[in-house]
Amino acid sequence: MKFDRRLIFNFDWILLILVLVISTVGLLNIYSTGFSMMDATQNNLYVKQVQWVLVGLALMAVTFCMDYRFISRHAYVIYALSVLLLVVVFLYGYATRGSQRWIAVAGFSFQPSEVVKLTMILAVSKYFDEHRVSGGYSLRELLAPALFLLVPFLLILKQPDLGTALILFIVFISLVFVVGVKWKSMIIVLSGCLVLIPLGWYVLKDYQKERIMTFFNPEHDPLGSGYHIIQSIIAVGSGGIIGKGFLRGTQTQLKFLPEQQTDFVFSVFAEEWGFVGGLILITMFLALILWGLKIALNSKDLLGKLIASGITILIFWEIFINIGMVLGILPVVGIPLPFLSYGGSAMVVLMTAMGLLLNVRMRRFILQP
Amino acid sequence: MLDIQNPLNGFNPAEFRQRFKVLFVIVVVAMSLLVARLWYLQVVKGEELRLRSENNSVRLRKIKPLRGLIMDTGGAVLVDNQPSFDVLFMPSRNQDITDVIAKMKQLSETIVPFSTDLALLERSRPFVPIKLEKNVSWEKLAAVETHALDLPGVNVEVVPVRKYLCADMMAQVIGYTGEISREELEKDDNGFYTPGDMVGKYGIEKYLDEYVRGKSGFEQVEVNVVGKRVRVLGKIDPVSGYNVVLTLDLLLQKTAWEALGGRPGSVVVMNPRDGSVLALVSSPSFDPNLFNGGITSENWAKLSTDPYHPLENRAISGQYPPGSTYKLVVAAAAFQEGLVTPDTKFLCNGLFDLGTRTYRCWQKKGHGYISLHRAIVESCDVYFYNLGRLLGPDKIASYAHAFGFGMPTGIDLPREKNGLVPTKKWKVERFREAWQVGESISTAIGQGFNLVTPLQLANAYSTLANGGTLYRPRLIKRIETMEGAIIKKFDPEVKGKLPLSQETMEVLTRGLWGVVNERGGTGHALHRKEEDVCGKTGTAQVIGLPDDEKARRAKRIPSQFRDHALFVCFAPVRDPEIAVSVIMENAGHGGSAAAPVARKVIDAYFGRKNVPGRSKSQVALLPGSGSVRQ
Repeated sequence: MKFDRRLIFNFDWILLILVLVISTVGLLNIYSTGFSMMDATQNNLYVKQVQWVLVGLALMAVTFCMDYRFISRHAYVIYALSVLLLVVVFLYGYATRGSQRWIAVAGFSFQPSEVVKLTMILAVSKYFDEHRVSGGYSLRELLAPALFLLVPFLLILKQPDLGTALILFIVFISLVFVVGVKWKSMIIVLSGCLVLIPLGWYVLKDYQKERIMTFFNPEHDPLGSGYHIIQSIIAVGSGGIIGKGFLRGTQTQLKFLPEQQTDFVFSVFAEEWGFVGGLILITMFLALILWGLKIALNSKDLLGKLIASGITILIFWEIFINIGMVLGILPVVGIPLPFLSYGGSAMVVLMTAMGLLLNVRMRRFILQP
Repeated sequence: MLDIQNPLNGFNPAEFRQRFKVLFVIVVVAMSLLVARLWYLQVVKGEELRLRSENNSVRLRKIKPLRGLIMDTGGAVLVDNQPSFDVLFMPSRNQDITDVIAKMKQLSETIVPFSTDLALLERSRPFVPIKLEKNVSWEKLAAVETHALDLPGVNVEVVPVRKYLCADMMAQVIGYTGEISREELEKDDNGFYTPGDMVGKYGIEKYLDEYVRGKSGFEQVEVNVVGKRVRVLGKIDPVSGYNVVLTLDLLLQKTAWEALGGRPGSVVVMNPRDGSVLALVSSPSFDPNLFNGGITSENWAKLSTDPYHPLENRAISGQYPPGSTYKLVVAAAAFQEGLVTPDTKFLCNGLFDLGTRTYRCWQKKGHGYISLHRAIVESCDVYFYNLGRLLGPDKIASYAHAFGFGMPTGIDLPREKNGLVPTKKWKVERFREAWQVGESISTAIGQGFNLVTPLQLANAYSTLANGGTLYRPRLIKRIETMEGAIIKKFDPEVKGKLPLSQETMEVLTRGLWGVVNERGGTGHALHRKEEDVCGKTGTAQVIGLPDDEKARRAKRIPSQFRDHALFVCFAPVRDPEIAVSVIMENAGHGGSAAAPVARKVIDAYFGRKNVPGRSKSQVALLPGSGSVRQ
């Protein structure tokens, strides 16, 4: 491939800096969750997380060096491999806390469901790029791309990992909206969902039902799932306007808050940095999302638009659902907060996704012959 | 190739712009919603929630469940629970703790001394409970409670701890509990445990932990500024663990334990009819109550460095040369293979020459021409030397395996050892050397490489006693709820059949009967007027000293090199009900040292059987048993 100097001029420094700043905030926050006020010790999870950020940055670099149209050529193969990993998890994966989500490779364990979030976006984007229609897709025309959702969706639901399955579903629907769909189909799909919700109730595990009951009625189970929410709200609220300060969140440090380095990581941040910190973080997230949408809008080809908007929509929904859950306005479903939650698989996948965003943005002026 | 600029191909930038506007609105509205909620929680409700967090007013407390009871076969309680009163200190935020420390010092000096290092208090941090003292006495408890107002942050917590009523009588079987370790927590995939939980660490407590442990309850309490509870907001009651009924018979366990009298050794009593273990004694032992609430480091040091290894369960992990008790296997092999008949006689003149080496019979003057029956009765070594040479190691091994030697019996306890049954193949793999004929000679009398555990020995003789069925020895009879509903019942499990004819078993049984009941039998100590016991003595050399030299120095051998005494028996001879194996380390001859121990067990068993109604009164065997069952 001939090197084009325009690539350097069009490199998106703003996006990279936003990602680096948010990741740094995330690392500091992980450091805080690992710190114990009881005996002034540190569990050193942050060291691992730093390593994952570095691995992620490396993959980001690899990703934006290759033209996304080249990557897209292999999108189905990449997608198939990632689904295969899900099947491996299904057959041989190991479980933590009643859910089989992990496989171990060479001493590292990772979650293929995180990878599928990105590969599904790639595969669906390729499909829509190659099967264009005018005036929006009809329901029948959406059946084939829906298979890209359905296979991993069912495998992940079976693990069970309701949160990730839900995210896949929402991202797919959002992509369909972006690519354009006939109004009639849209209405049918939405009403279909409404019908499916009561049916879905029977598929849910007891603990998932409990969480949803808790959301609608917090008194339902103040000890079990209600406890998480109560403690999370106390943690967030007690941060006040300026927060308790770094490493000084009592709810956090005294371990009243469960899952504090994963799903509830935002309440740790909000307790220590207060409304001011929370506002800055949410604003940075908003800037990142709007920047991503802008990249999608400005992309000159359909493929670039779909990839960029898919990735942006993914992080938007993850941020909104996670923080909404921590603040008690959405039910508790296990969805990590991008760049802040502890976890290698999610971090590496996110960084790769950011590489793709940079990729689309860098090549917007270059037209393929 | 599609023309990407062609709007007819569905690519219409204007439509896209429309849809992105919608997306833009959704994103901005959603994020504003988050900010609004954050504002509400942190600014509007901030002060209220800050107070709640500072008082830490809502606290989740784990309520420890009661572990299930452990009972003997007749229902006598062996392990119970008792309350332990622990004194905790948990200062609240901004509390001046110097005052409390001064008060505690004063209390400690004037009323009742606290063993706690009070310097601990000075290092305390808000909301982090420090355990000042576990299992405090009543007077300390009273002192703390009466001065509660002066001691903000000092609380008494009641937690159940184990009470081992039998103390060291069966410590290695029952085991003990302890706080869960970091490794155990990591292995716990179901997220069942949290730090501070008690788990079974050894013996039945460990083996059946998942049944005995119960389920923790939770309590959500609102506490005031000094950490005292104001009200309970919600509660999930803990669920007690299941009770375990063992096959152990307390009377026999106690008899055997007392008969050993603290000397190193082991006694196993089994019911040959179904493989249930009636007593499993390992001596010396330890008091599992020492582990309640964490063993002190000096006690642990004492136990773990004791040269007699009181923590080890000799009955399943002590491996000993079987000595003459192994002759049962060799005799079974020789007779079943047709190498000897009841009339086959060998000459024993006290010596057996093989090449340049001479092997001796324990009876120096020899037994003369001797038959199989008398060779068993008098435990003639030379006779079995002959059989050993004729059979070779692999034949002996195949019969030994049929009797359950050389493999774990599968009893319901962790850390069981295999023992060792040597074969030619094993010798080559282990030593890279061929099998020597001389090794067949020593194998035949249970010396050489052979190793057995006391449990294997009891199980092997049980197998002959019940007519040839090898059972898996069982310690657990059933697991039941507190109300007595059965959760799991353990039925006899057949592991194999002896490849012996009726005639062979008849010959062997008659031989063992003779050992006890005929003139010149080595097990005469078991001779009862009912003439009902069959048995075999064994004297296992610990180090191989040449016979004559050994005799010369017998009096000067340090105790750890003296012979192990063994005795195995079953009774009554027709349709046996009980089998006993006894091993006493470095105690000398099986007939004189081990047989009297077996005798006491047999007498206790038949003594109770013949006095109706005795079995129900077992509860009285233990001090303080029959206490409250929760």
